[in-house]
Amino acid sequence: MIQSILIATGFITITGLTLALLLVLAERRILNYGECEISINNGEKELTVQGGATLLASLAENDIFIPSACGGRGSCAYCKLRVLAGGGVISPVEEPYLSNEERKNGVRLSCQVKVRNDLQIEIPKELFSVCRFSGIIEYKKPLTYDIIELRIRLKQPESIDFVAGQYIQLESAEYKGRESVMRAYSIASVPADNRSIDLNIRLVPDGICTTWVFEVLKEGQAVHFTGPYGEFRLSDTDAPIICIAGGSGMAPIWSIIRDMKDRKIERETTYFFGARSQADLFYLEELRQLEKVLPWFTFIPALSAEPENSDWKGERGLITDVVSRHFPDCSRHEAYLCGSPGMIDACVAVLTKAGMPEDKILYDKFT
Amino acid sequence: MKESPQTRFLQSNLQASKFSAGGFLGNDQRPIDEIIADDLRQLEEIGRTVGEVVQLLKNAYEKIRSGLGNDVELSNGVTGRFYESMGRIPSPFRGDGVFEKGEAVVTDENSGDSLIITKLGIHLIEKHHFFQGVGCRYRIEPQQVFQILTK
Repeated sequence: MIQSILIATGFITITGLTLALLLVLAERRILNYGECEISINNGEKELTVQGGATLLASLAENDIFIPSACGGRGSCAYCKLRVLAGGGVISPVEEPYLSNEERKNGVRLSCQVKVRNDLQIEIPKELFSVCRFSGIIEYKKPLTYDIIELRIRLKQPESIDFVAGQYIQLESAEYKGRESVMRAYSIASVPADNRSIDLNIRLVPDGICTTWVFEVLKEGQAVHFTGPYGEFRLSDTDAPIICIAGGSGMAPIWSIIRDMKDRKIERETTYFFGARSQADLFYLEELRQLEKVLPWFTFIPALSAEPENSDWKGERGLITDVVSRHFPDCSRHEAYLCGSPGMIDACVAVLTKAGMPEDKILYDKFT
Repeated sequence: MKESPQTRFLQSNLQASKFSAGGFLGNDQRPIDEIIADDLRQLEEIGRTVGEVVQLLKNAYEKIRSGLGNDVELSNGVTGRFYESMGRIPSPFRGDGVFEKGEAVVTDENSGDSLIITKLGIHLIEKHHFFQGVGCRYRIEPQQVFQILTK
């Protein structure tokens, strides 16, 4: 009896072990894609990677950081790039994020494309210069009741090359059971100051990253970010400029205007900043000071909900109405906008109505 | 009963995640099917439809959003204000896409009740009849929509 039990147990154990061994061997043989070549931008850069990982991860391993906010879950759709060959079929996860035009052009979510064979891809050239930075919080300074200025002193690499108007992706740490996330913030400082970056961050109720910045992050603490990213920047033309921003949309405009001063670009520029009340204004003194030293620069803050009996002597009303009053004809101008999607939509409508061609309206929508 | 991979994926996405700090269920212990069924029953009892809810929410959201952060009067004693936010948020349901962040907060000064309307919230109701769990910041009480937005 005991002998039979032992034989049966032994048989089952050996069978199990054999099956497990077969599975391991099969996995190694079937799922081992070996080394794969990734050719970027028609051979401008060639990578040799171990197959099996996602394209997003394989590129990051080779210091090419594609913007991503969801950590490769296929839910933020930020990591789009063109896969010209070898990407396989579009997965069901990618389907809803790709327009017909994008499908036609081979656009894919890089976090959903597995490297199983050689690939040909196309990415914006400036992504080659994106790095992952480590830095230290030099200070965290309140600008208003819900916006802070964060200065990050760079440690590794020690300096950053960026164009005024670009953004970075800040990585929050895990806290209170919340996962680490990446969120995009425009750089508020100027390119000439390349040893540190300043960010203007507004507290979003229940926001994972902003709550971390406001409540957890301390001066002297180490932080990480990738960047620089983005196409929002000053054009090469001589057209007079209208800038419009609201809230933390101040950051890229604040950078662009001071960069113009640094580079001695003297284009007629009018900056409209929309806020509800005086409590929402910041950098007011600094901008007034710039107005004094830059004959080509005018700053027009406008308040939409300031008490009527207050000491405010500046413009009042919705920012769109204020812009219309100052510029009934915008046909000669270029516009640079940064703010919420609602504000951008409203401003685009006003500017086009005043004769500005849509391709002259450049914006950094908070999306 | 064993959960399907789709259900497991959804349940995991409904929890607090990289995108939603508080998740979509609040402190509601009911399964999502039950939350949906209960809310539909509530609507049926008051003789209203999901379509009517969605229309009211969409109208209010767009009107408040166009106020660019200023108070917008929707009706006597009912005001709304839009709070901008950076980025986009994906639906917890696979394949639904991503939605503009930003909240339209509606307040009924008489009753003190309020609604927080988001693009994703409207979509979840329209496509999945999911009003989110009780205790969730973005939960929309079906009855409250009519109490506040049809004044």
